[in-house]
Amino acid sequence: MEMFSSLLVSAILMGCTYTLVAIGYCLFFGVLDVVVFCCGDIAIFGGFSIIGAYTILYSAGVLQAVPAFVAVLIMLTIAAILCAALGLIAYQFSIKPFEKSSTLMPLLSTIALGVVIKEVLGLVFQPVVNSIAAVVTSVDDPLSVVGGRNPQAMPNLIAGSGSTDERNLIIIAVTLAILIALFLFLNKTKIGLSMQAISQNKELALMTGVNVKRTITATFIIGGILLAVGGFLLSSYQTIIRFDGGAMYGSKGFSAAVVGGLKNTWGAVIGGMLLGFVEVFTAGYIPGGTQYQNIIAFLVVILFIVFRPEGIIGEKSIEKV
Amino acid sequence: MKSFAKKLNTPWVIVLCNFVIAALVHAILIAEFAVSLGLMVAVVIVMLALDRYGIIHALFEAYTAQKKTAIISGIFLVIAIPISLTNNNYIGHIATMAVIYSIACLGLNFQMGSTDMTNFAPAAFMGIGAYSVAICTTMFNTSPWVGMLLGMVVAGAFGFIIGLPTLKTKGYYLSLVTMAVQIAFTQLIYNLPAIGGANGISGVPKYALFGLDLYKKYTIAGIKFAPQIPYLLLCIAFLILATFVAMRVYHSRTGLSLNAIAQDEIAANCLGVHVPRQKLFAFVIGGVFCGLAGSLFVGLDSYAGPGSYNFSKSLMLICMVILGGMDNSIGIIVGAFLLTIISEKLRDFADFQQLVYGLILVIMLIVRPNGIIPKRVRNYCGVSCRRPMCAAKAADVVEESSTGA
Repeated sequence: MEMFSSLLVSAILMGCTYTLVAIGYCLFFGVLDVVVFCCGDIAIFGGFSIIGAYTILYSAGVLQAVPAFVAVLIMLTIAAILCAALGLIAYQFSIKPFEKSSTLMPLLSTIALGVVIKEVLGLVFQPVVNSIAAVVTSVDDPLSVVGGRNPQAMPNLIAGSGSTDERNLIIIAVTLAILIALFLFLNKTKIGLSMQAISQNKELALMTGVNVKRTITATFIIGGILLAVGGFLLSSYQTIIRFDGGAMYGSKGFSAAVVGGLKNTWGAVIGGMLLGFVEVFTAGYIPGGTQYQNIIAFLVVILFIVFRPEGIIGEKSIEKV
Repeated sequence: MKSFAKKLNTPWVIVLCNFVIAALVHAILIAEFAVSLGLMVAVVIVMLALDRYGIIHALFEAYTAQKKTAIISGIFLVIAIPISLTNNNYIGHIATMAVIYSIACLGLNFQMGSTDMTNFAPAAFMGIGAYSVAICTTMFNTSPWVGMLLGMVVAGAFGFIIGLPTLKTKGYYLSLVTMAVQIAFTQLIYNLPAIGGANGISGVPKYALFGLDLYKKYTIAGIKFAPQIPYLLLCIAFLILATFVAMRVYHSRTGLSLNAIAQDEIAANCLGVHVPRQKLFAFVIGGVFCGLAGSLFVGLDSYAGPGSYNFSKSLMLICMVILGGMDNSIGIIVGAFLLTIISEKLRDFADFQQLVYGLILVIMLIVRPNGIIPKRVRNYCGVSCRRPMCAAKAADVVEESSTGA
């Protein structure tokens, strides 16, 4: 029972991190009908920008001056702004040029952009030559903590030096808060409503006077913020962050979105949780399952795609000729 | 332009053209990194310029008209290039890799180029070919040729299994399925201790033909040859075979129906194309090609490891197909050569390798999504292209497609 409850907690945590990136996929897909495959990399970029902000602000002495809670909020804001900007860049350079071409093009271009983001992260957070690395460590620069292509230690920001229980609680609370805020945003504000309208019927939305351009921009900003929080929670949960973790995180998030139903934002929550549960319980209950948890998770996804491609709570779409 | 195109249509032009291409390939292979990069950029720019004036198209026509001359002179030069590399180990290695990747890309093209089905798992197919050779030779002590055959069969069967979900899904869902397969494959071979796990299988025996080792230093007429040269010749033989098969498929009914599926699946179905069968065919034959490429790859390194067959390798193969030009066998070989040479010569800057792929892919997709040598308009006038009407029509179509895209 002890084991079950601990597994339950980690499954929920895992599900929370997947949920956020899955919602990002859903929002982008709803508005643009395009799968933005670099979502995972944008989230990882968010995690790294928090590390960068942490090291810079810490050495500037800003973080020590304010209470821990405010410090985390400051860093999260910085990461959210950067991720939203990156989302807009992704839209400009890898989605907008391919609006009229086949689905393959934006797919490949966003994947390629993801590779670019990943590699730039790997290069920036790594001293280029060994001798430079030695210099950096010798002057005890805080950035040297960040250096290297190895996994980065994520500073345990949310609970200070507190226990993991506290951290877990905060991760769940943040996810819930984000979900509630998103619900209110989608259903109560004008932009949220126009996002839903475009997702349901783009032509009709255009005719009824929805400003599509502004809505797309807003979607990428909202998506960027979600991804930044997702990357932060993921790296806090795993306590490390890898520059090349984006592909895996992104494909898991997309899988969660597909399992839930790509057009349905709330399906993403269910899909993310399901994926988290499958992974954690495979690792926990099948002997030697830790190595195979990803394989089993993807197997579940393939089964879903083949037998229920519209997702758990999606509607069946009938193709008209 | 029409008169100029006619002038091209003589055997000497074809031989000269083949010779120029061979000399360029030789120069790009041999030259220092900066020079060879400059040459490659120049080649691409010249090709794009020629394409703008329709000369590439005219050349293709001329090659088709002068088939015999083109093939005979081409085969001579293709054998001459490896021999001209003589004792240059590293260049021989790069050239062999380029040839092997070309085979894999031809396989990938059946799905991505012809049928417009995204496949993010070509490296997994290659891995199957490589591992089957490695397992057969090191664990069961058979000849690597048996492993190669087995690898092709297993990769084809794997293609069939992956092809099954494609009958029900398409677009993003299909790409997710293949991506999941690729990631799961890498994780599986990383974690199976029976096949070496993360260490892979090393010490795979090399191929031998009639008692002659194909990976050995030979000295013929006083000239020393690098060990890769005979192996390169073998790979080139396989590439010629693969190109032949790919072109035959392209010109056959099957190739046409694959293109029809790419254009509009429902319309193709209504016209009597057996969609499931053709889709499965594309996956199986693509799998066989990639399996062949993988089994040749293992003969070069005598090592099969999980790192060589991961998602980024798949991305690289996709990048090659797009760079060269989808659904054009010659274009794909050009793309594979260019990208292999770039990435191999970038070895010193290994950290930048992936970044370069990503940037090439993004820039290519924005600037010229059809690739360096784009898909050609199918010409069903056949011989009658000599008729002015048809030629004019074909030229119009080409111009339309080049400006419209």
